[in-house]
Amino acid sequence: MAQSDVTLELAGVSKSFDEFAAVSDLSLQVRRGRIFGLLGPNGAGKTTTIRMIVGITTPDAGRISLFGRPLTPELRDRIGYLPEERGLYKKMKVGEQLRFFGALKGLDGRAAARATDHWLERMQLSDWQTKKTDELSKGMQQKVQFVAAVLHDPDLLILDEPFSGLDPVSTETLRNAILELQAAGKTIILSTHLMEQAEKLCADICLISRARKVLGGSLREVKRGYGRNLIALRAEGGDGVLADSALVAAVKRHSDEAEVELAPGADAQELLRRLVAAGATVNRFEQIEPSLNDIFIERVSATS
Amino acid sequence: MSRLLAIIKREYVQRVRARMFVVATVLGPLIMLAFAVVPALIFSFNAGGPLRVAVLDETGRLYARVRDALQNGADEAAERGAAQPAGGAGARPAGGGAADFVVSPVVLPSGRAAEEAKAELDELVRRGTFDAYLVLPRDVLATGRAEMYVRNLGDEFTVRQVQERLGAALRDERLAAEGIDPARVRAAGGRVTLSARKIGAGGAAAGAGRGSFGLAFGIGFFIYLTILLYGQVILGAVVEEKATRLSELLFSAVKPFTLMMGKLLGVSLVALTQFAIWAGAFLLVTLYGAGALAAGRISLPPVAPSVVVYACLFFLMGYFLYATIYLLLGAMVQTAQEGGQLALPVVFMLVMSLYLAVPVIRSPTSPFAVWVSLVPFSAPITMVARIVAEPPPAWQIALSLAVGYGTVALLVWLAARVYRVGMLMYGKRASLPEVVRWARRG
Repeated sequence: MAQSDVTLELAGVSKSFDEFAAVSDLSLQVRRGRIFGLLGPNGAGKTTTIRMIVGITTPDAGRISLFGRPLTPELRDRIGYLPEERGLYKKMKVGEQLRFFGALKGLDGRAAARATDHWLERMQLSDWQTKKTDELSKGMQQKVQFVAAVLHDPDLLILDEPFSGLDPVSTETLRNAILELQAAGKTIILSTHLMEQAEKLCADICLISRARKVLGGSLREVKRGYGRNLIALRAEGGDGVLADSALVAAVKRHSDEAEVELAPGADAQELLRRLVAAGATVNRFEQIEPSLNDIFIERVSATS
Repeated sequence: MSRLLAIIKREYVQRVRARMFVVATVLGPLIMLAFAVVPALIFSFNAGGPLRVAVLDETGRLYARVRDALQNGADEAAERGAAQPAGGAGARPAGGGAADFVVSPVVLPSGRAAEEAKAELDELVRRGTFDAYLVLPRDVLATGRAEMYVRNLGDEFTVRQVQERLGAALRDERLAAEGIDPARVRAAGGRVTLSARKIGAGGAAAGAGRGSFGLAFGIGFFIYLTILLYGQVILGAVVEEKATRLSELLFSAVKPFTLMMGKLLGVSLVALTQFAIWAGAFLLVTLYGAGALAAGRISLPPVAPSVVVYACLFFLMGYFLYATIYLLLGAMVQTAQEGGQLALPVVFMLVMSLYLAVPVIRSPTSPFAVWVSLVPFSAPITMVARIVAEPPPAWQIALSLAVGYGTVALLVWLAARVYRVGMLMYGKRASLPEVVRWARRG
């Protein structure tokens, strides 16, 4: 992987609060233009990791580099951050508030105003520009918070549980916005404990549990490497083949289907050939990938 | 820098535009005026009209004097230049248009016993024909003892007033008996006007410094007022991001120190604006509205320019000293109310240093005065008191300023450290050991 492809790199990063280790020896690489899933149960250390990336806290040990350079306040301006801890100034008008956040990220007045107009329109909130924030529904406020994160056109966008509490329509709007940013070449880190969302969006993942990384890589690799070689089989006959312990490790029978676990080193195609050769009628033969959720649960329960 | 300005601007604009600010700015002086004037008005307000008094004069020659003294007592007191009893002070028009007392004689038919008359008077008072009656015994001039019977004994003011005026009447009567004209005695008792002049460093005797105490106390009171009004606002502003759960987003964009200072300066500018509006309004009123009235009464003592500079320096020092304490408290707590409770000792300190100004101004060169004017928490008030009373050596002023502003810097530094950690903690107040740990960790 060429260096220029890496937006963010953490190498051996650790952070403790008093006796408690929040993150220990974490290394990961986030590639440019991809959506990276930072996954883990509550309290695993996701938020601490993000806080170190955005510069709210500093690591006790290890190195964080952004765009190939050590983290500096100037570089931090190229990060957009939607914290899990959501908040807005309640008595401030939406547009005014966003322009203020833009200014804090180094935008001048005109640029902040332009970006605010653009994004409010994109989020279908233009009519609310001059309304006070506490007049907005919770979902709308969440969209405003998202706008606050992307207003200054960051190259790296960090979203901490962006979908929590959103209705399906808003979820879809937000999802599309994220995908659009990715298409425009932005790098996105998605921190979540909702595996379904992560599975749909992320190209790469890093699973942390109890302050440590337990799994990482592209989603495809992870699943392949983690595959228990399961096959969903609906067939008549061929029972003799399934009994071959060199090929099949276990068979779990459901009503009319069986879940076949291949023996270590066995090839699925070989099994299919043998079944057909044995005269079995194969109606369904599908290599099942474990869902991210399954992997998550298994790995997390293994560490605790 | 532009981010600090953005934070200051937001803080300022949001607060000045708020309805509360407008209301407080308009109503503030009115409320203060009301606090000053209304009690006096209420005290002087005699709801029941003049007190109807019957006088039973057993001496047979005092009645006229007593009646005059009671009915015109105010005039006489003014003429005498003596202090007024509390009950008589207030908004009564000069010249005593409305009498405090209506006095009637009790004619004692010869042969009737005084006791009998008293029983009758008791009944009259009870029925409401009179409010009170006065008994002047035969030997009143010798003993100085008289009796008053009142339906309402709770009205202590009136009893004291009667006592005072009766005393004057008896004195005049005694003087007359000695053949001395009471008016001449009154003239001889005229007040002395002592005009004190200050000997300054240049040796020039001038009228300056008359208002010294007022100035020192005024600055002290001004700091007190500002902190009282704005300490809680600073607390609220600092806690605001905690309450709105915004600190995380803001801290990812600016340093906690920048945010904190922006808030402190923003609120301070709001305070400045409010005071400027009040000062402007006051000037306008004095110049146009009540110009004539004020010109006669209020004359500010002439103040040296250096004193003005020092006063400003010490005011700012005092303001920021106490403001940063509120800042620190805000960083520690979860809600402004909680911070307000923690701030009580701070307010106490402020009041104490206001009182300290009194012994300091009486002996400005005593070791006590030197020490308290170097302690940062009392210096803003006591050092100014010393400067106007008797200028201390320059090095002491410089040291006091250095220590004071140094303390401010130290408190800001401490607050920033606590703020950085404290703002990301939700749900509980930081304990003192925690604060110390956060400050050390950095």
